[in-house]
Amino acid sequence: MGGECLSLDILTIMTITPIFTGIILLLMPQILPKDVATNFEKVTRNISMGIALGILLIATMLFFGTIGSIDWTAIMQGDYVLKNDQFSLISSIGVQWKVGADALSFPMIWLTALLIPISMLVEWDAKRGHLFHPLLLIMEGALLGVFITLDLFMFYVFWELTLIPMFLLILVWGGDDRKYAAMKFFIYTFTASVFMLIGILIMYFHTTPIPGIGSMSGHHFDLVAMTGQTNLIPSEGLRHFVWILLLIGFATKMPSVPVHTWLPDAHVQAPTAGSMLLAGVMLKMGAYGFLRIAVTIFPESTVVFIPLLIFLGMASLVYGAWVCMGQTNLKRMVAYSSVSHMGLIFLGIATMQPLGIAGALFMMFAHGIISPLLFAVAGAFKHHYHTLEIGSMRGIAHHSPYLSGHMMLGWMASLGLPLMAGFVAEVAILIAFWIEFGWLVMLPALTLIITATYYLTSMQKTIFESDDPHQGKLPDSLHGEKPRDITWHENTGMFILGILTILFGIFPFIFWDMMSSWSTGFVSDVLIDAMHNKDKWNSSVKWLVEVLK
Amino acid sequence: MEFKCQMASGGVKINSLNNISLDILIPEIIMTIGMLMIIIIPNLGDAKIRLPLSKIHIPILIGGTRFTQVNNPVIPSIISIITFSLATLMSLLMLLNDNTGVMEPIIEVNQFTSLFSMIFTFALLLTSISSLYRLPSQANAKIPDDSDSEKSLNSKITILMNNRRQVDFYILLLMAGLGMCLVAKSTHLFMLFVCLELASLSSYVLVAFNKESTIGGEAGTKYFIVGSVASAIGIYGMSLLYIWNGNLEILSLTNAWSQMDSLDPFAGIGIGLMLVAFGFKVGAAPFHLATPDAYSGASSPIAGLLATASKAMGFVAMMRILLIITIPENGEEAYWMIALAIISVITMTWGNFAALTSTNPKRMLAYSSVAHAGYMLAALAAIGTGLGDDESNALILTAVIFHLTILVLFKFGAFMVLTLIENEGNNHNMTGLHGLARRDPIIASSMFIFMLSLAGVPPLSGFLSKLLMINGIVNISAGTGSMASVAFWSWASSVNMIFWLAMAIVINSAISLFYYLRVVMIMFFEDPITNKPLARSLYLRLIIIFCAVLTLLFGIGPLSESLLEIVNEAAQSFL
Repeated sequence: MGGECLSLDILTIMTITPIFTGIILLLMPQILPKDVATNFEKVTRNISMGIALGILLIATMLFFGTIGSIDWTAIMQGDYVLKNDQFSLISSIGVQWKVGADALSFPMIWLTALLIPISMLVEWDAKRGHLFHPLLLIMEGALLGVFITLDLFMFYVFWELTLIPMFLLILVWGGDDRKYAAMKFFIYTFTASVFMLIGILIMYFHTTPIPGIGSMSGHHFDLVAMTGQTNLIPSEGLRHFVWILLLIGFATKMPSVPVHTWLPDAHVQAPTAGSMLLAGVMLKMGAYGFLRIAVTIFPESTVVFIPLLIFLGMASLVYGAWVCMGQTNLKRMVAYSSVSHMGLIFLGIATMQPLGIAGALFMMFAHGIISPLLFAVAGAFKHHYHTLEIGSMRGIAHHSPYLSGHMMLGWMASLGLPLMAGFVAEVAILIAFWIEFGWLVMLPALTLIITATYYLTSMQKTIFESDDPHQGKLPDSLHGEKPRDITWHENTGMFILGILTILFGIFPFIFWDMMSSWSTGFVSDVLIDAMHNKDKWNSSVKWLVEVLK
Repeated sequence: MEFKCQMASGGVKINSLNNISLDILIPEIIMTIGMLMIIIIPNLGDAKIRLPLSKIHIPILIGGTRFTQVNNPVIPSIISIITFSLATLMSLLMLLNDNTGVMEPIIEVNQFTSLFSMIFTFALLLTSISSLYRLPSQANAKIPDDSDSEKSLNSKITILMNNRRQVDFYILLLMAGLGMCLVAKSTHLFMLFVCLELASLSSYVLVAFNKESTIGGEAGTKYFIVGSVASAIGIYGMSLLYIWNGNLEILSLTNAWSQMDSLDPFAGIGIGLMLVAFGFKVGAAPFHLATPDAYSGASSPIAGLLATASKAMGFVAMMRILLIITIPENGEEAYWMIALAIISVITMTWGNFAALTSTNPKRMLAYSSVAHAGYMLAALAAIGTGLGDDESNALILTAVIFHLTILVLFKFGAFMVLTLIENEGNNHNMTGLHGLARRDPIIASSMFIFMLSLAGVPPLSGFLSKLLMINGIVNISAGTGSMASVAFWSWASSVNMIFWLAMAIVINSAISLFYYLRVVMIMFFEDPITNKPLARSLYLRLIIIFCAVLTLLFGIGPLSESLLEIVNEAAQSFL
C-alpha cells in the first residue's frame, strides 16, 4: 500500500468503510441463499469487529504519527490536517465532500474509534447479533462523519444519520419501555436539530460565492470559508438569532437543562452498547458542534450570551447532580450524572480562557471514557442481576468481584478522584472559572460534593453493606438463580476503559498538550477581539462577579 | 370592459396539420396507440366474413372466439405497462435532448413539460405494475353453464366480470395519463381545463373502481361530487377571465395582466376562483376534505396515483396561473401572496395534526400528502413576495419541482408497500403493517426509508427537497431583516413575514415525525397477525426496492446532482 495515496484521504476511508460494510452485512443474509446466509450470520460480528479494530488501529497510528507523521500539538486553530482533495457532492447548491481534523476533532475521532470495538466487545453475545454489530458499524461511520466533515450540509446529514442506527438499537434491543424511549429520543433530537438547520441555512445565504461551487444558488456550505469570512452575518440581531438556533440544536444534544429530558429515558431503555455510544460520543457531538460552529463563527454572540451559558451550565450541573441523589435506577442515575458533567463543559467554554476551553475539551474526552465504563457496568448489572434498582441488592462484591471492581473504579473516576481522567478536566475548568468569575466558582465546586454523595451512597448500598457478609442481599429479579460474575468479554471491555481512565489521569498530556495549544490559539485568534466588547456583557452577571470578587 | 382580442402574437392561428411536428407529442401518441391496442388486442378472434355469393371466408380478426394468446386477462395490464414504459422513456429522451416545440396557440413543449410528462407516466407505470397484483384476474375462467349450482354460477360470473374490468381499468389509466401530460403542455387555459377534466374524470372512476370494499363507491362518489363542484367553480372563474380578456391564451393573459393599472375585479376574482379548482387538485386546505376519504376508499395504487401524479398536475396548473400570468414583473408583491401564505400554513398544520390521529395507513398518507402540499404552497408564496430575483425564484421553483419529482419515488413507494399488504385483504387499519419487519425485512426496510424520506430525514431525497424549499424561503426573506438591529427582537419584527413560513415548515416536519415513526414502530414492534410471508409479487417487490434505492441515491451524491441540474433547467425553461 502506498502510504501517500492512502494518507491523502484516510479520514474518508475511515468514515465510508464502516457505513458500507455495515449496510452490506445487513443486506447479505437477505440476498444469499438460506444455508449460506445462516453461516454468514455467524461470522457477521467477527467481520464487524475486524473493521472496527482496523479503524481503531488507523486512528491510533494517526495519533502516533505512524501514518501521515503529524505533529498534533503544532496544529493551530483554523488549521486542519489530513485534508482531502475536496470534490463537490451536489455542486449546484454548493455541497462538498471536504474533510479534515484538528485538535478539537481528533480526540473525538479516536474516542469513537475506541468505543465502537469496546461496545461491540461488551455486547459480544447480543441477541440477533448479525443485525446488532453491523448497526454499530453504521453508527461508527455516522459519528466519525460528524467529526471529520468540514461542510455544514454533510455535517447535518451525518448529525441526523446517527439518529437512525441509534433509534433502531433502542427500538429493537432496548428495555421494556423502549418504544416510548426510541420515539422520544428521535423526535426530541430531530426537532432540535431542524432549528439548527434553519440557523445553518441563514448562514449559508450570507456566504460569498466561491468560484466553481454553488452554481445554482451562488452560496456554499464550506465551514472553513465561512469561518474565514469576516462578519458573516452583518445584522447583529440576526446573528444572535442564528446563534440561539444553533444553541437549541447543540444544547439538546449535549444535553443541557432544560432540554435534557430525552436523555434519561433513552439511556435507561437503550441496550448497553447503545448507552455507551450515546453517552460516550453522541453527547459530545453537541459540545463539538457548539465549539466548532457557534463559538467559532459567532464569537461576539457567544460573549454576549456568556450569562446564558453560565446559567445553562450551572443549571445542568446542579440540577443534574441534585436529581441523581434521588434516583433509584442505576442507569438513570448515571444518565443524570452525564447531564451534570456536560454542564461543566458549558462553564469551561464560558470562561473564555485557554485553560477553561482546554478543560472543556478534556472533559469531553474524559467523560467519553468514563461514562461508557459506567454504562457498561450498569448494563452488566441488568444482564446478570436483571434489575437496575439500587435498593434491591446488597453486598454484590461478594458474588461479582470483577463487576464491583469496575463499578468502583468508574464511579470514583466520575466523581473526580485525583489521578483519574475526570479530575484533570474538572480542575482545569474550575481554576479557569475562578480566574474569570471569582467566588462564583463555589457553586460548581460544591456541586462536586453532591456528586460524591450520590456515588458513594449508592456504591455503599449496592456493593458493600450487607447483613450477612457471606450472602448479602440478592435482588428478587434473580428468582433464586445463582448470581454470576461478568463474562470474559464484558470484563475485557471494562478493563480497557478502566486502564485508559487511569492512564489519562496520570498522563493527561497525551491529549492535553494538543488541546491546550489549540485552545490557546482559539482564544487568541477568535475570541480575543470579541472579548474587547465586554461592555456588552449583561450587567447583571458583571455585577454579580464584582460583588463576589 | 374592453375586449383585448387577438392581441397576443396574432391570436388564434389555424395551423394546417402539415406544419405541426408531431414528434413533440410522442408520449401522448404512444398512450393513444396504447389505448387503441387495449381495445383491439383482447378482442382479436377468429371471426370471418364470407364474401357474398362465394365460399371465401375473409378473417376480420375482431370478434368470434378469441385466440388463446389474447385470452389472458393480464394482457391489458401488460399493454399498459409497455405503453407507460415507452412513454416514460420517450419523455426522458425528450428531456435529455432538450426537445422543444410549439403548437400555436395551445401546446408548448420544453424541458419543464417533458419532465412533468416523465413524472406522470412514471407514476402511472408504477400504478400499472402494482395493479397487476392488486386487481384480481384469473387466466382460465370457466364459462358458466346450466349444470352449475347457484353458488358456483355466481363465482364464475364474478371471475368473468373481474377479468372483464381489467380493460376498463387500464384504459382509464391511459386516459388519465393522456390528460395529465397534456395539462403540462398546454398554454391555453381552455385546453388546460379540458385536459385536467379528462384526467380528473378518469381518476374519479378509478377511485370508485375499488368495488371489493363498500367504501370504494362512497369514496368515488364523494370525490366526484366535490371535484366537480371545484371544477365548476374553476370554469366560472375562467369565464370571468374570458370576459375580462376575451382570450384564454396564457401569453395573452400575461400581457393583459402586466398592462393592468389596478387589479381588475374580473381578473382578480377569476384567478381566485380558478385557484379553488386547482387547490382541490393539490389538496390544499380548506379544499382538501374529500382527499382522505378518496385515498382511503381507493385501492392503494390509485391512492398513490392521486398523491403523486394528480397532485403534480394540480401544481403545474397552479404554477401556470400564479407564476406566469399573475406574477408582477417589477418585484412587487403578488396579490395572492398573503392568501397563499396563510393557506399554506393552515394546510401543513391541518394535514399534520389530522395525520397524527389517523389509524388507517392510507388516510395517514393522505393527510401527509396534504401537509406536503402545504410545504410546496409555502415555497410558491415565497416567489409571490417579489423579493427574489430571477435566480432565487428559479431556486424555489426547482425545489418544488424536485419535490414533486421525487415524491413519486417515496410516496408512491409507501403506497406500493400498502398494496402488497392490501393483497392480503387488510387495508383499513394498521394491523396489516404489524410485525412487517419480521415477516419481510426487505420490504419493511424499504418502508422505513420511505417514511424517513417523507419526514425529511437526511440523507434521503425527501430531506434534500425540503431543505431546498426552506432554503429558498430563507434565501428570499432573511435579508429583509433590519441590518442595523442589535437585539434579536428588533430583527424579528423587521423581517418579512415569509421567513416565518420556513419556521412553520420546520416545526411541522418535527410534528410529522410522530406519525411517520409510528408506522416504523408498528413494523418493528407489534406481533404480526399472521406468520405467513408476504405474497411474492416479484415485479412489485423489485420496483419497491428500486424506488427505495433511488430515494437514497437522489438524496446525496452525483445522481442527485444531475437530477437537480435537470430540474433546474426545467424550472428556468418554465419561468
